[in-house]
Amino acid sequence: MTESATREEATTGSSEFSRSRLEKRVDGLRGPSGIAMAILAVGYAYTVVAAPIDSVQGVIQKILYVHPPLAYGAYLGFVVTAIAGVLYLRSGREEFDRLAISGAEVGVIFCTLMLITGPIWARGTWGKWWSWDPRLTVTLLLWFVYLAYLLLRSFSGSGARTARFASIYGIVGIVLIPLNYYIIEMFGARSMHPENLKGGSLGEGMGLPFLMGNLTLFFAFVYLLILRWDVEGLRALDARRTAERDAAGSGAD
Amino acid sequence: MNDAVLAVRGIEKRFGAVAALRGVDLELRTGGALAILGPNGAGKTTLLRIMAGLSHPTAGRIELAGQKTPRSGVGFLGHATLLYPELTARENLIFAGRLQHVAQPAQRADVLLAEEGLADVANRRAGTFSRGMSQRLSIARARVHDPNLLLLDEPYTGLDRRAADRLTHHLRRLRDAGHSLVLVTHDVRQAAELADAAVILVAGRIVYRTGDEGLRGDDLETAFSAALDSAA
Amino acid sequence: MNVTLAILWKDLVTEWRSRDRVIAMLIFSLLMAVIFHFALPDQRPEEIRSQAPGLLWTAYIFAALLGLNRSFALELDNDALSGMALAPGNRGWIFLGKAAANFVLIGLVEALTACVFALFFDLNLTPVVPSLAAVVALGTLGICAVGTLFSAMAVRTRFREVLLPILLLPALFPVLAGSVNGTIAVLNNQPLPFEAVQLLIVVDGIYLIVSFLGFDYILDE
Repeated sequence: MTESATREEATTGSSEFSRSRLEKRVDGLRGPSGIAMAILAVGYAYTVVAAPIDSVQGVIQKILYVHPPLAYGAYLGFVVTAIAGVLYLRSGREEFDRLAISGAEVGVIFCTLMLITGPIWARGTWGKWWSWDPRLTVTLLLWFVYLAYLLLRSFSGSGARTARFASIYGIVGIVLIPLNYYIIEMFGARSMHPENLKGGSLGEGMGLPFLMGNLTLFFAFVYLLILRWDVEGLRALDARRTAERDAAGSGAD
Repeated sequence: MNDAVLAVRGIEKRFGAVAALRGVDLELRTGGALAILGPNGAGKTTLLRIMAGLSHPTAGRIELAGQKTPRSGVGFLGHATLLYPELTARENLIFAGRLQHVAQPAQRADVLLAEEGLADVANRRAGTFSRGMSQRLSIARARVHDPNLLLLDEPYTGLDRRAADRLTHHLRRLRDAGHSLVLVTHDVRQAAELADAAVILVAGRIVYRTGDEGLRGDDLETAFSAALDSAA
Repeated sequence: MNVTLAILWKDLVTEWRSRDRVIAMLIFSLLMAVIFHFALPDQRPEEIRSQAPGLLWTAYIFAALLGLNRSFALELDNDALSGMALAPGNRGWIFLGKAAANFVLIGLVEALTACVFALFFDLNLTPVVPSLAAVVALGTLGICAVGTLFSAMAVRTRFREVLLPILLLPALFPVLAGSVNGTIAVLNNQPLPFEAVQLLIVVDGIYLIVSFLGFDYILDE
């Protein structure tokens, strides 16, 4: 008996012509999360506008209500990619690979927005666009890892081999997050990030919009992730139908 | 089943969206020689590489008699030679033997070089070999761990008539010595000369297989022409 | 383990006969040294010396990329990679063999490059050879661990020479940080910094384990 025997049960499910049960079930959550995002966004916008203007930093401080929640989305995306990668390697089920792509792409979007909003705030507050601030640097390094991940996918086509390569790269990527934090701690660069968030001592009137920002962007993340997963599933389905039609066509001629 | 050296059960393989194999079932009895025929792109090589353990099927499984670790007990002659041109013939065999956990790779290499008629050129680099010599060295490489089952992918490609006949003779001897063979080819004549059973693969499915009466060259020829017509 | 040694032996013998990988890496790192000279003009010797660790590791990493790119490319001739993938049992041992060969070849180039840098930039390396060798070995181990894994991946994609640096460099930041930090201390005649050595050991360990386990999936079709 070879090891392929153990994979049989897991993979027969994907050989029929539909998305997996897991994908269909998760797809049902897309609508509710979209609605939640839309409702929260209204409240979010209102509270951000209504929040007091910071006495020192001025209006630029309001980026705070966007920037940290984006970071959580980015990390969440990369964690999804790594977990989906492990699940794919263990089970061989393609829907996990499709989830891994979705996590990476949505994560990169959040990460990119974070890298844009950060320097805007830095320009307003520190007076320069870029500083090699530890957290900024870690984010930049991470951004490169997942750009490389997406490039790896687009350079090696579709198929099980690409999926395996990408799964492993996604796992290396997640291992890099703590390592990068560690090197930055170790080499003692001074952080320019405000530390007062940890203490929970946001100024008066700033807590609510911050909370709303986190909630809204969390639901935005969930909505985008499911949407992306859905698209990838349909795309795979369509590709297989086309391939089957081509195969049947060439046989009948 | 009891005397089957190889059983292929419901093998499917997709590359991305494209299906290469769509449910293949096969059995090979110990000491038998099976020919897999089919037009280009039928999935023959894919099937053989799955049997060798080089490729994972999308669904289905391969059962090999007595196999405990993956990929053990199988000899594989690929389309390419799998040889290192910088290494000598002997070094190539010793290296392959060590990869296959052969107890005494150097002695085994010398035995095989003698059997394949390559003893004189044992210390020449494989990169300087003719196609026929490379092919014999590749066969020695595939046999280095004395596998029960030999998988051969288009072994006649690039050989002239004389070399091809010699190869047939040689493979028959191996079969008589108890090796089981699987031979991928698109040449009906060679299949009929060597094999005692045959299947025809078209678009990832088996469309013809020889029955209990064994392989008859004329029947196979007819079936193969029909298969080619249906695939064209 | 026998498989690992067989592959190490095979890679070293083939390299000894052609010598092309080591020579290419060596010429490349010589060129780097010259480029650094022109890229940082009119510097006083002590300034160059303070930058030497960073320059040295830049040269090391790019020379290693060159060598790693070839590591699996030469397995593609005659589909020799399939021949290796046929070996029964855990393919992690194949990875270790390839990584060990890369370690030896890249290490050799690094030693020669260090001599060249010492000459060009007037560094006195003789008293610090053991500690410098230790830092370089630890850093190179990390490079070879993920480098061998990613090289096996990149070689079977389109634009493989382009893809390897893009995959590998982001993963090498921790290695680079630890190695440069350690090398700075060594060249300033300070004891090896504990944090840098610890970091390198942790990173090497993680990368070796991930690559050993991941390699089984890499060689499948």
